[in-house]
Amino acid sequence: MKILLLIVLASLCLFFGYKFYHKYKKRKCFFEALVFLCQKFDVEINFSRERVQNILLNLDEKTKQSLCGLVENFLCCLESQESLDKQKLLKNISFLSEDESNRLFLFFKSLGRSDVENQLKEIKNYEAKFNDFFAQASNEYKKYGKLSLKLSFVATLMVIVIFL
Amino acid sequence: MLEKILPANIFSIFDKYVNFKCVNEIRLRVDKPIVVSIGSQKFFLSSHGTTGNLKEAILPTKTMLEDIIFRASECSIYSVNEQIKRGYLVTEGGIRLGLGGDLIEEKGQIKTLTNFNSINIRIPHEIKNCSLSCFDYLLQDNQILNTLVISPPGAGKTTFLRDFISQLSQRNYAFNVLVLDERGEIDLGNKGCIGNFADKISFASKKTGFENGIRSLSPNLIVTDELGREEDVEAVLTACNAGVSIMASVHSDSIESFMKKVLFEKIIKEKVFKRFVVLSLRNGPGTLEGIYNENLSRLGSKIMR
Repeated sequence: MKILLLIVLASLCLFFGYKFYHKYKKRKCFFEALVFLCQKFDVEINFSRERVQNILLNLDEKTKQSLCGLVENFLCCLESQESLDKQKLLKNISFLSEDESNRLFLFFKSLGRSDVENQLKEIKNYEAKFNDFFAQASNEYKKYGKLSLKLSFVATLMVIVIFL
Repeated sequence: MLEKILPANIFSIFDKYVNFKCVNEIRLRVDKPIVVSIGSQKFFLSSHGTTGNLKEAILPTKTMLEDIIFRASECSIYSVNEQIKRGYLVTEGGIRLGLGGDLIEEKGQIKTLTNFNSINIRIPHEIKNCSLSCFDYLLQDNQILNTLVISPPGAGKTTFLRDFISQLSQRNYAFNVLVLDERGEIDLGNKGCIGNFADKISFASKKTGFENGIRSLSPNLIVTDELGREEDVEAVLTACNAGVSIMASVHSDSIESFMKKVLFEKIIKEKVFKRFVVLSLRNGPGTLEGIYNENLSRLGSKIMR
């Protein structure tokens, strides 16, 4: 019974530690991919006037994965002919703050809505903002992400020591 | 294609109550009734089809117009800005959206069109054999005569040109035809209705298209829509000097009003065009009013539709 309890408690500590670590890592990768997406839009629109849907469809799998379904959600909204809905766009993305999700929504809402010059200006502005978010997420990851993983190991060890 | 452009509620009305094959134009203006042109008649669009009652008419909003343009540009307005600057937008199926709004100019150059307040959706139709009654008049000694199709807007100029190219192909006249499709309307947006012997240059100005086309594709015949500027006339004259036959169209109500246009004085004087085909809306789009020779004498008169 004691050993069973030990295993459960140790697993819980490791689980929560990893969960927090994963959350911060996901946020960091998400904003990194978002900055990359902005750069991709910038290049593709500037040089080939490539359409939004084509740019997103030709995005590499790694970036798509890092964006946690955002690309698929956006393409789905475009296909559905309805006006862009924040809930639908950010479906399954729960790790963003209110400000971050608002910016993201406005960014996607602005895509394809203006001429080249204005579109590029907008993308540049959003890229700068997403870069700030990325810097913030990187700091959080370094501070809290790794820390929570370490703490979970320490807590697990403490549980083992207390029980044994 | 219209289902991709129009809002779902508007499209469903067309789908349920209106025969798209008869619709020539749909005009949407902010807070004004939607007008549908069927043949030469005009109706308002209501929730149960077309109507003459203004009170039942649907009034489009500004957002609706913006969404239509957004969707017609395949969700990327920047990719069609060159067209928008010229006041139109051509979609995949050759459907042309004429746009009204605020023109932004900078240093004498049009930058873009914004604040859209009206859209004229022109639906192209492929009317097979509509040029057949003129066909024999436009060929002589196995050569296509330089021909100008004259008609008011919406009377079937482009449809006539499209069918003529198709007739050439069907009858195995292996002329190298160059379709200079400035607005992407002649080929109905790549539907392949211009036959087997036609090359196409799209969205280029007539000057550039004629120069590049003659140089690179050595055509026997150049087909182009709507001559309207001095440089268009110059391009035609250059092509004629290069020994290429021309088939073009021009906006005008009648042969008489065409003759009064200063722009075409030189062309008429030098007898560049050997045939003039005049179309009107008298009995619906595509009514053939007459075929004229280089001396502007009538050759034939038949009703096409």
